[in-house]
Amino acid sequence: MKLSKRVVLLCLIAVLAMSMVFAGGDKEKGKIRIVTTSWRTEDVERMNRINALYMEKHPNVIIDFQPTADEEYDANTTAALETGIGADIIYLRSYDEGLPYYEAGHLVDLTNIIPNLEKFPRAAVGAWSKDGVTYGLPSAGVTHGVYYNKAIFKKHGLTPPKTWAEFIKLNDTLLAKGEVPIAQGALDDWTLYEVAFSGLGANFYGGEAARQALLAGKAKLTDPNFIKAFEAVYSLKKYLPRGYEALDYSAMLQMFASGQAAMFIGGSWEISTFEDMGADPANVGWFAPPVEKAGDRLQYCFHVDIGVGVNKNSKHLDEAIEYLKWVAGAEYAQALMNELPGFFSYTPADVKINDPLAAEMFKVIADSEPTVRTVWEKLSAQAPSGNELMGIALPGMMVDKYTPKEAAAFVQSQLETWYPPFKK
Amino acid sequence: MGSNTSYTRRRVQKILFRLGFLLPALLIYTFILLIPIVDSMRLSFYTGSGLIPNTFIGLGNYIKIFTQDVFRERVWGAFTNNIKFFLIVTLLQNVLGFFLAMAVTRPIKGASFMRKISFIPTTLSVLVVGFLFRQILNPIWGILGNFPWLGNEFTALPTLAVAVSWQFIGESILLYTVGIDGIPIELLEAARIDGANWFQEMRHIILPAIMPIVGIVTLLIYVGDFTQFDIVYAMTTTSGNPRFKTDLFGSLFYRTAFSTPARGGWGMGMGAAVSTIMFAVVAFGVGIWFFVFQRKRDA
Repeated sequence: MKLSKRVVLLCLIAVLAMSMVFAGGDKEKGKIRIVTTSWRTEDVERMNRINALYMEKHPNVIIDFQPTADEEYDANTTAALETGIGADIIYLRSYDEGLPYYEAGHLVDLTNIIPNLEKFPRAAVGAWSKDGVTYGLPSAGVTHGVYYNKAIFKKHGLTPPKTWAEFIKLNDTLLAKGEVPIAQGALDDWTLYEVAFSGLGANFYGGEAARQALLAGKAKLTDPNFIKAFEAVYSLKKYLPRGYEALDYSAMLQMFASGQAAMFIGGSWEISTFEDMGADPANVGWFAPPVEKAGDRLQYCFHVDIGVGVNKNSKHLDEAIEYLKWVAGAEYAQALMNELPGFFSYTPADVKINDPLAAEMFKVIADSEPTVRTVWEKLSAQAPSGNELMGIALPGMMVDKYTPKEAAAFVQSQLETWYPPFKK
Repeated sequence: MGSNTSYTRRRVQKILFRLGFLLPALLIYTFILLIPIVDSMRLSFYTGSGLIPNTFIGLGNYIKIFTQDVFRERVWGAFTNNIKFFLIVTLLQNVLGFFLAMAVTRPIKGASFMRKISFIPTTLSVLVVGFLFRQILNPIWGILGNFPWLGNEFTALPTLAVAVSWQFIGESILLYTVGIDGIPIELLEAARIDGANWFQEMRHIILPAIMPIVGIVTLLIYVGDFTQFDIVYAMTTTSGNPRFKTDLFGSLFYRTAFSTPARGGWGMGMGAAVSTIMFAVVAFGVGIWFFVFQRKRDA
């Protein structure tokens, strides 16, 4: 009894002491707080370090990065904006994922605000513009390719493949040697589409030209070139780990990071993820999506990922816009690429990529035809959206619910129910 | 006449007096429950972007849901999944919960300890339970990872139901033990003297005595399951992986109402229509319960 009283007393003292420590709010008096929000909860520390650079020069401003978990981001942000308590700076996904915020009238027209907007890559500006109005600053893009475990490759005398035939041969060798070739699951609905199909499939369906034809309604997902892409992804099935049907994204990452699989079909944003999971950066290699035939030009999925908008109803609109201008500048671009390797800034400035993997991914852009994820633009503006349908079709295909042809036909037929160019 | 007015006045006073007690609860209930429910039903007749759709389209959302394949499939899928989920959970929680309650009310050594620890899972957060089960079932490092439980479309939903039942079976045990403890000991002793065995005792004395509790437990499971969201969120994401095989009304509503179309959203108006259908299903079930159990009691 005596002991428990003492414990309670100690706890009370601890609580009091803690509240004193956290009551240091006086320091913030008179300062302006700019709240920024995003869907990347894993970046808090890194973003705080980037924003510290701004706060050094603007001692009267506090930049408060408050991300929400990816799955809840839309729900939370919409609710907050509609009820007038939204963050000052809103991170926007590209095309039709970010557009609703502008269409609902929550975002400032940035066309004449962003410095040097005309020098930003046009495709990137287009991802956050409508009818000549740019509502989001094109901040960063990501690329897709294949990570590999250098030690495992070395052990079996393997080198990164250039063509698909080499890639398949490599997989067969790994399988024969008793390794798990690819850490890829079929449980989560997005990885197979966003990364495997858009990343590796682009070389088969013909990248940007084919995507544009699809958008214009001149091509269909059931055309032979797209079917080839579905088949290519399907052909990887035998190289996936046991129980891949129930393997989710975080388990996939763990598997590769801990050396239990030789390769990981991934996006450039995972560089720091693997590092944070304890993989030795020196042991992680990367190669671009293998081309179909030797000599083919690489169709490279360089996806428009992060746009930054300003809340029209921000209480500190001027300060928020001031901050956005900094985000559009060279200092932010460099800091972003240092802190978050694999996010490639669109800012037209001379920035250095210090991370060797990120540098490799970036170097490839020069010799490739860049494109974005297959059905992300326009084809995902309405329900049932292309993104959602691909997220049903591809995992279904990997567990033999659909053949590659059926998977393609399923997505195509559902898109035809609403996408105007298909209806003609 | 005089006595008549005073009688009326007393009557009015009595009503006002009663109303005074009811009013606070009524007001709170009206403002935080009734009005929002009615308003969300109103929203289901509108379409448009954002949180508050503003174009009136009458029954348009419902027509879309019941006639267009991709929407009908989702709603019908969530409905049938919900029914299956409810049946499995009811079976596990009611039947298993009842037998476990029988066991812990026997004068066996350790029974009272078992009673206490059986309630522990119920105190955990659903997210924690979901995480625990995901680790146990993980194909790479889980101890039950030999079969893709969550990846197989036939086992995924039952797996979720088992997780939920595991968590809430303590609640059933608690309610049933209370019921069994409430049975007069003389009754059981008399039965035993008459030579009733364990099974007869259960069949003819315990079960009839706790029938009302079976009703309440089933109702609680029904309402809980048709508004279930957390376990899907925690174990198979709001998409109800694999391919909507674990999609329940809760996750369907969350996805359709709050996501952008690119992530499976249908717009707030359609979301409100989904939630209205959900409300109707729950109200129907509760109505049946009232009809069957309450009327029986009155009779």
